[in-house]
Amino acid sequence: MFKKFLATVLSASLIMGLCACSGASSETAAGSAPAADGSAVEAAGDTAGEEKVTETAAAETEKEEESAESAEPVTLRMAWWGSQTRHDITVAAIELYEQEHPNVTIEYEFFDFDNYFTKLKTLVASDQVWDIFQLGGNFPEYIDKICYMNEFIDSGLIDVSDIPETYLKITQDTAGNQIGLSNGLNTYGIAYDVDMFNEAGVPLPAENWTWDDYKDAALKISEATGHFGSSGLASSEFIAGCSTYIGQQGSVGQYGFFNLDLTGMGFEDAQMLTPYIQMRADLIKAGASPDAGAEMEITNIENDFLVTGEAGMTWVAVNQFPTIYDICKEEGRTLALATIPRVKPDGPAGAVIQSSQMLCVSKDSQYKEEAAKFIAWFQTSVECNKILNGERGIPVADSVRAALEENLTEGQQIMYDYVSLVGTFETPEKVNVLSPDGQDQVVDNYRNYIQQVVSGEITAEEAADKTYADAKAIFQ
Amino acid sequence: MITEKRRSGLKNFMNRNETVGYVFAFPFIFGFICFSLIPILTSFYYAFTDFSMGSKTVEFVGGRNFGQLFTDEIFTKSLGITLKYVFISVPMKLTFALLVAFLLTRKTRLQVLYRSLYYVPSLVGGSIAVALVWKQLFARKGLINSILTQAGLSSINWFGDRKLALYPLILMSVWQFGSSMIIFAAGLKEIPSTYYEAARIDGANGMQSFFRITLPCLSPIILYNLVMQTIQAFMAFTQAFVITAGGPDNGTMMYALYVYNQAFKYNNMGYACAMSWFMLAVMSVITVVIFRTSKFWVFSEAGD
Repeated sequence: MFKKFLATVLSASLIMGLCACSGASSETAAGSAPAADGSAVEAAGDTAGEEKVTETAAAETEKEEESAESAEPVTLRMAWWGSQTRHDITVAAIELYEQEHPNVTIEYEFFDFDNYFTKLKTLVASDQVWDIFQLGGNFPEYIDKICYMNEFIDSGLIDVSDIPETYLKITQDTAGNQIGLSNGLNTYGIAYDVDMFNEAGVPLPAENWTWDDYKDAALKISEATGHFGSSGLASSEFIAGCSTYIGQQGSVGQYGFFNLDLTGMGFEDAQMLTPYIQMRADLIKAGASPDAGAEMEITNIENDFLVTGEAGMTWVAVNQFPTIYDICKEEGRTLALATIPRVKPDGPAGAVIQSSQMLCVSKDSQYKEEAAKFIAWFQTSVECNKILNGERGIPVADSVRAALEENLTEGQQIMYDYVSLVGTFETPEKVNVLSPDGQDQVVDNYRNYIQQVVSGEITAEEAADKTYADAKAIFQ
Repeated sequence: MITEKRRSGLKNFMNRNETVGYVFAFPFIFGFICFSLIPILTSFYYAFTDFSMGSKTVEFVGGRNFGQLFTDEIFTKSLGITLKYVFISVPMKLTFALLVAFLLTRKTRLQVLYRSLYYVPSLVGGSIAVALVWKQLFARKGLINSILTQAGLSSINWFGDRKLALYPLILMSVWQFGSSMIIFAAGLKEIPSTYYEAARIDGANGMQSFFRITLPCLSPIILYNLVMQTIQAFMAFTQAFVITAGGPDNGTMMYALYVYNQAFKYNNMGYACAMSWFMLAVMSVITVVIFRTSKFWVFSEAGD
């Protein structure tokens, strides 16, 4: 008797489960049918929309009239990568938005850099990319999933008049499509510990110091203090160092690692990389730069060896600087920012002011307009940016930048000064700061080649050739 | 009349043993088909395409992915490293498991406690948390190195040296000997004590009775553990992913990690699928070899 009962209950619940599933998905599809660009097919696969489903059908009719002020309950999904500081302040900003817009609920997820993109790739494959997501210079890989923001700007749905044209441009593609709105201005630099330089008797870096000065400083610091001369997150080094090194050769704008429209290499002679690779290998061999094992111990900028007091310098994207400046200040150490060294003191700086990252609207989103409104608020609201406090880079909106400039911390002041300094450097008219699909593998191999140079398996010349061949293979 | 008949037919149907069996087996069958069988079949199809997670177009490329395997340096390297890992870690793990199981057969009041304690690493061993602990233990300024320096030795850069980096990972796998140990312990209990008594009367010492009685009687269980652990070792992923990320210079690039990198990091899902199928072939060959050779060393009481 009991067996029979149990069997009935089980099969009944299974059947009901099946019905519930199919019911939900069909409703989702129906609900998203009026979406702007006819993405009903994509949205049908959106299982995360399950909670929204009940309201969707009724809400959509309302949306057709004018959604700007409607109280339609909306759930947006959002994700970003970054450090703990960023997670905390972003969550606080989201809570503020939810307070101001009671109908909007934002479900957020945050990751470190690598895991963010792993997760994003799985979501791309299943057509479930977050409504609002963060992207950097590697956006070309995800271009199929990005909903351009032009239509929202043109229709007046979002007001970006506060963002100067030049700063809107840094997140446009060459065809003028607004990929997203920038989270802030950024550029690369080298953060260094002033006391360690003094202790080692090394002159502080000049504005136009060279890679030779850099190598010399790193070696001397490591000799005098027993710490690393120069540390660094491996992910920053390729772009800030290796790729910049190419741009610094010849005349301004003559070379770049990749060409301007990202269809091939920006330089011909692989041996242009050799001196840089040799220098990196020499530093690692001399113990002045972390080897692969030590490098694995750095998981984010907050436990970089510079921050823990075990290195004299490190690569930073300057938006990271205020955070580490404050941490070190608490421990009584003073950090400063130096420019990326040059090949020749009077040669091109190779540095570019770029967008740190941007927020994009996903094509999979059911609420593209709501997502766009959040992004515009995130970049232009003074209240919001008082919480965010320039952690993602110097804000692009004029009023926000003005409001924040009133009470900068010391670290932020240094960052602001540094960015204006880099702004005075001569830069080519057009630069390419984007990463092509496939760059990850090139960078991983490049790092292995450097280690092989360290262990003497291959020469720096061979490493340069191999790196060049790997990079070129992306475009074939 | 008719409805009556049909109802009783339904009643009969619901009461049949097979029906009940299938209903209870349904969760497994459902899970197996949806989450194992279908993905396995699709991965076989993808192995012949250029599928990547980012793009929506899938192009059939024939055997190109398999051809690429043999020109890929890192693939060869990762295969070698994985074989080395398997050939070192599995024998060590089994020896250790057998040793501990043997020691714990002695009847003490704390036997259960000891067994549970030794089993704990197996329970937590695959987790990220333990891998992180391991990373700290062997870090440049970690516990192991501070013990070494305290003892007056020079510290060792475990994860910075390509030749050394694999050994902490092997050690971590050996440390998770618990599940094999439990199976060995059960097997040891099955050996009739009369054998040992007879041997003792004949004047055999402990060593002799271990090698002449325990090992032969346990050999079917050793075979089972050997096969299971070999397969498991081929699939090792977590340690390499968390502790070394395959470095330094691909010195710990386990096969499963390289498959993961190709699939999710470098966006070559088709190639990754081809690699997985190649691994299946390698594992099958090795398992067949183990089974074929087993008739020379597995002792079956019923046989002779």
